[in-house]
Amino acid sequence: MNSPFFHTLLLVYLVASILHILFLTTGNRRIAQSAYWLTIGGFVLHSVFILLRWRYVGHLMAHWYDSTSFLAWAIILIYLCIAYRTRLRTIGVFVVPAAFIATLIAYTLQTQENTAIPAYLQNYWLIAHSASIFLSYAAFTAAFGFGLMYLIEEKKIREKQPTLAFNLLPALGRSDELCHKFILVGVILMTMGILIGVLWTQYVKEVKWTWIDTKIIFTIATWLIYVLQLSIRQILGWRGRKTAYSAIIGLAAVLFTYVGVNLFLPSIHAF
Amino acid sequence: MNQIVIVGTSHHIAPLDFRERLSFSESQLVDAFQLLTEHPDVREAAILSTCNRVEVYAVMHGEDGYAVLSNFLSNYHHIDPQQLEKFTYNHQNLDAVRHLFNVTASLDSMVVGEPQILGQVKEAYAQSLDAGATSDILNRLFTKAISVGKRIRTETNIASGAVSISYAAVELAKKIFQSLEDKTVAIIGAGEMSELTAQHLVKNKVSKVIVANRTYQRAVDIAKKFNGIPLTYDADLSFLVEADIVISSTDAPHYLIDRPSLAEIMRQRKHRYMFLIDIAVPRDIDPEVSKVDNAFLYNIDDLEMVVASNLKERGQEAESATQIVKEEVAKFHSRLQILEVNPIIKALHQQFQGVASKELETCLDKAQLTPKQQKMVEAMTQSIIKKVLHQPTTHLRQTVNDANDDHAQYVHALHEMFGLEQAEDLDTESTDRN
Repeated sequence: MNSPFFHTLLLVYLVASILHILFLTTGNRRIAQSAYWLTIGGFVLHSVFILLRWRYVGHLMAHWYDSTSFLAWAIILIYLCIAYRTRLRTIGVFVVPAAFIATLIAYTLQTQENTAIPAYLQNYWLIAHSASIFLSYAAFTAAFGFGLMYLIEEKKIREKQPTLAFNLLPALGRSDELCHKFILVGVILMTMGILIGVLWTQYVKEVKWTWIDTKIIFTIATWLIYVLQLSIRQILGWRGRKTAYSAIIGLAAVLFTYVGVNLFLPSIHAF
Repeated sequence: MNQIVIVGTSHHIAPLDFRERLSFSESQLVDAFQLLTEHPDVREAAILSTCNRVEVYAVMHGEDGYAVLSNFLSNYHHIDPQQLEKFTYNHQNLDAVRHLFNVTASLDSMVVGEPQILGQVKEAYAQSLDAGATSDILNRLFTKAISVGKRIRTETNIASGAVSISYAAVELAKKIFQSLEDKTVAIIGAGEMSELTAQHLVKNKVSKVIVANRTYQRAVDIAKKFNGIPLTYDADLSFLVEADIVISSTDAPHYLIDRPSLAEIMRQRKHRYMFLIDIAVPRDIDPEVSKVDNAFLYNIDDLEMVVASNLKERGQEAESATQIVKEEVAKFHSRLQILEVNPIIKALHQQFQGVASKELETCLDKAQLTPKQQKMVEAMTQSIIKKVLHQPTTHLRQTVNDANDDHAQYVHALHEMFGLEQAEDLDTESTDRN
């Protein structure tokens, strides 16, 4: 279904990822510019694709596959916002490949239509609930990217050997602050998503609220990791490496909650 | 045929006092241009005069370009021609193009990658343009050279990385803190290097300078230079809690700051980043300090290493910059040749058109043709001209792209064979290219 469309999208994200990495290894700003514009092209294509699919399937988030595709789209959206606001292209090196991988996973999930959400649940509650959650995942991906950038840059500074990457990556203070900001944004979105989910169970009779669903437990655990990090930073001033590490551990938790739970554990959540 | 000629001198071959004698002040430029362009052979001229180089660029008509420009320089500055010859170099045509591209690329500078030269070339070009000394060829050459300079700075990292110790310190500070604007610098002890570094930091808008010294009077003296806050310290280093950048250069025989005391200071300042620069020999700061989270320690050797590796990096980038220059010279070469070939093609077309319209006129007068038939005959004439000229035109344009200068012979032959006169309208020919 829509195969050539999806192939083009995959190719665009792949080339954009390669160009971003090439930028970090050569420092050529022309490459950075073309990588940026190619990503914008991919984003437009992806948006059109999601809209077409929405019309075709009748819902934005009817399948696991759609949710992954939406996640990739959200990651690119956040990257473009960052690139536009801060003129920072290096974050693309870390998040555009992430979006490519998400798109690739969506592509392989394409055939598994059995992951569909039951029709009676396909309503605006579902869209609000999952869109908030997936936007929070995208924000956590960006935080992860900044965390990695922080760690690489810190290593370079401590090694006292300035290299090309050292010159291109942003200042430690900046990576740290952006990492912190995106954790904050992610936590807000995730909280919204959880609350919407809880409210939803109060309005839809077919779904019973339960604490013991694995997805819910792991989501709360993930949420706690981030909230704990934010609190300690606020109180003790932990920053830098510790923020970066928690962004990385947090994203690992996100990945397990999103993919692991469905692969290994039973859950009422289709994705 | 036009020649691009450069006669000049630079820090590579001439001592400072010679460069001084050869340089042009801004007020001298006006009459220098007048003198230059008065010469019948000089069609265009530009002068680049900086503290490291003085170069006269000209588009010349005759063969003796070097001699004309050298004479001009020795007459203008009253310099003995023999001395002038010893300390100047000259370049012609493609070599001249390559030289200017190298200059704007900063490949010919004392420190490769330095930023000033591009601005200086822009300035020199603007002055020559204002004086009305440049025209078609030099306009193209300079605009292209400036854009090559920009291209090299965006596509290579020739200009990245500090190449002096105090700048390296500032650059590192910028790599740690997002901005220096709300930061506090503490200078412990005294010394030329620490003051120089502090000066650079102040220029980069750090908000507060603390000057700590064993003797208060000394602290006051140094603090005056930066509008800083003087203080004395003994064993108490608590002022470091608010310091984001610490420059230490005391003559203390032992470590002033060790790991436990810094860890405590860091805790008090809520682990905000601290950049410590230890310029003292023997060292003031225990190297163990660098194991404290969010504290970054550099000593004088580290900074020197950074500078050395930046210089090496620039050297490597210079190679790719040279490649770009080579590419751009080749492109410019073919454009120059097209510039020479275009007028002849135009003249050829004009001549054919002239003959055709004359013949058409007499023919149409005699033959009683309907308007439709007239149109057909006119169209046929046009198509004959086009088809006849197609082959020679394409061939001529192709020779331009060949490495050898065949096109000059063709241009010459066409002139002779068709009795063309209009090769001189170079100046009116498509000046809108840039």
